[in-house]
Amino acid sequence: MMQFKNISKIYHKNGEQEVRALDKVDLLIEKGDFVAIVGASGSGKSTMMNILGMLDRPTSGDYYMDERKVNSYTDDELARIRNRTIGFVFQKFHLLPKTTAVENVELPLIYSDRKNIRGLGLKALEKVGLKDRLNHTPDELSGGQQQRVAIARALVNEPEIIMADEPTGNLDSSATSEILTIFQKLNSEGKTIIIITHEQDIAEKANRVIEIHDGRIIKDYTNKGV
Amino acid sequence: MRKRRILHSCIKILDRNRLNTLFMILGIVIGIAALSLTFSIGKGTEKQLMDNVKKQFNSNNIYIGAGRGQMGSGPQSQGPANTLKIDDLEAIMEQIPGIAMYDPVQWLPDKEVIAGNNSLTTMIKGHSAESEIIWNRSVQKGLFFSSAEEKAAARVALIGSKLATGLFGESDPVGQQFRIGNIPFTVKGVLENQGIDAHGFDMDMDVIIPITTMMKRVMNVDYIMSASLLVEDVDNMDEIVLSITDILRERHYLSDNETNDFSIMTPVEVKDIVEDMNKVFTLILPLITGVALLTGGVVIVLIMLMSVNRRRSEIGLRKAVGARQKDINFQFLMEASLVTLGGGLLGIALGILGTKILAGKMDYTFVIPWQNIVFGIFLPVLIGVAAGIIPAKKAARQDPVEALKN
Repeated sequence: MMQFKNISKIYHKNGEQEVRALDKVDLLIEKGDFVAIVGASGSGKSTMMNILGMLDRPTSGDYYMDERKVNSYTDDELARIRNRTIGFVFQKFHLLPKTTAVENVELPLIYSDRKNIRGLGLKALEKVGLKDRLNHTPDELSGGQQQRVAIARALVNEPEIIMADEPTGNLDSSATSEILTIFQKLNSEGKTIIIITHEQDIAEKANRVIEIHDGRIIKDYTNKGV
Repeated sequence: MRKRRILHSCIKILDRNRLNTLFMILGIVIGIAALSLTFSIGKGTEKQLMDNVKKQFNSNNIYIGAGRGQMGSGPQSQGPANTLKIDDLEAIMEQIPGIAMYDPVQWLPDKEVIAGNNSLTTMIKGHSAESEIIWNRSVQKGLFFSSAEEKAAARVALIGSKLATGLFGESDPVGQQFRIGNIPFTVKGVLENQGIDAHGFDMDMDVIIPITTMMKRVMNVDYIMSASLLVEDVDNMDEIVLSITDILRERHYLSDNETNDFSIMTPVEVKDIVEDMNKVFTLILPLITGVALLTGGVVIVLIMLMSVNRRRSEIGLRKAVGARQKDINFQFLMEASLVTLGGGLLGIALGILGTKILAGKMDYTFVIPWQNIVFGIFLPVLIGVAAGIIPAKKAARQDPVEALKN
């Protein structure tokens, strides 16, 4: 469970102009949910994900994860929580170049106490259907395959939450539906999925849709029939 | 475990960015290779010189040179060098206990020696019969000249092996006649091979004749150039040197404000002088290469900084998936030090190879000083850590949100 209480994030553009990327947001995301955060660019949805994912800290307000107040944690503690409980997927994949698929997948395990790194890496690749591509480097893989490697990397340390920032933004429609199928499958296995997108048809696949505008939640509804 | 995994990941990254790694490594390789090469040459020549000095200069020898000024600058550089006499040495022997024997020396460089149709120019040295013991140099053929022959100023000579071949070819030189200038001499023996001396003279071209013969017949002088004294107990060395100074000053009628018209050296001083001469190899050149090494370090800093900029998204990603600041810091420090360590090892290897080639070509002792190995490993790692500090800190502080921005 992730909870925002009166969260604000204020940037200072050019040192002067104040930008409220998030403006007193209250939000509760239940464990096991599939949430889409939608909004135009500049609406504050990326800021929301960065704070939810503990990559960034709010200017004010409190953030709770499973009753623990995240605000008070040190950077090192946040890094540990990210490593154990959150898997990230990015629009641009962010795979290490010249590095094989399986080694990319194993990256989070370097910073964990887990043993049998190779075994876990292979298991994660198998989950996204790329076990036969383990020794391929990113430039030998299609965009969809690269994003699947990135998803395997997000999964490898068995986190509860997967956060994806425009995960299909650079993909064609068939790759997009492949990726979405994987997310739906992961959600059915009990993982909390949070996807940030500006595409309505992707949002429709989610269980719950949160729409942001100017740093505020303007719509928050559950998709019927999902 | 985490450190080991990060280290493993560093090695992979360095391997994948080989061109980058190559540029980083280059300065260190060259620097360390140059450093170990110059240092090896220095140590090699020093060893060679010391071996020679040891051969010619027993640890219980005291050396007296005629003339003002230090040996290093040449005995005749200041003032006349005609004041040291054999009588002085006899007075020293009489008045100071603990001196076993002495060897007066007089020499002439560039003297013509002739045997039949063969003529060569070489160094003529006058010594006493005791010099066989004092200079630790005997004959390999024939006999050393005797005290009687010395007393009689006999025209007998000992010659070096190279000179023997030069004058008499393959035939046995012992008993043969040759001339020094116009004076005929008989070869009494062939000297043991000794190679090049500390001044660069080939001692196997030497002619050694009795000091008396040298003074009376060849040079017509009543003074000597230098003398070596054999001390019975090395512990008395300093005391004896002081006594000799007193006696010589008195005998030469030097007033208190006059400097010595002779110089005295002990093996300790000889060693100091040899080490001094070699400072250019063991200190100055390595210092210069040290500066080159520093430049290599600066290059690493710059390449690392560029690398941190280029790898912003990698750093952001590592942080997102759980790397702490110190993990990132550790990674970049390790990348820098692994590169420099590799460069150091490669540099040592190149240095050894270069020394071996040079030693073979230039005919000097091949030495790999332990300092090379130590410097070749610790210095590069030190440079690596130092060069890595700023880039690593920069990388560690990178904001993951900024770094991952689409």
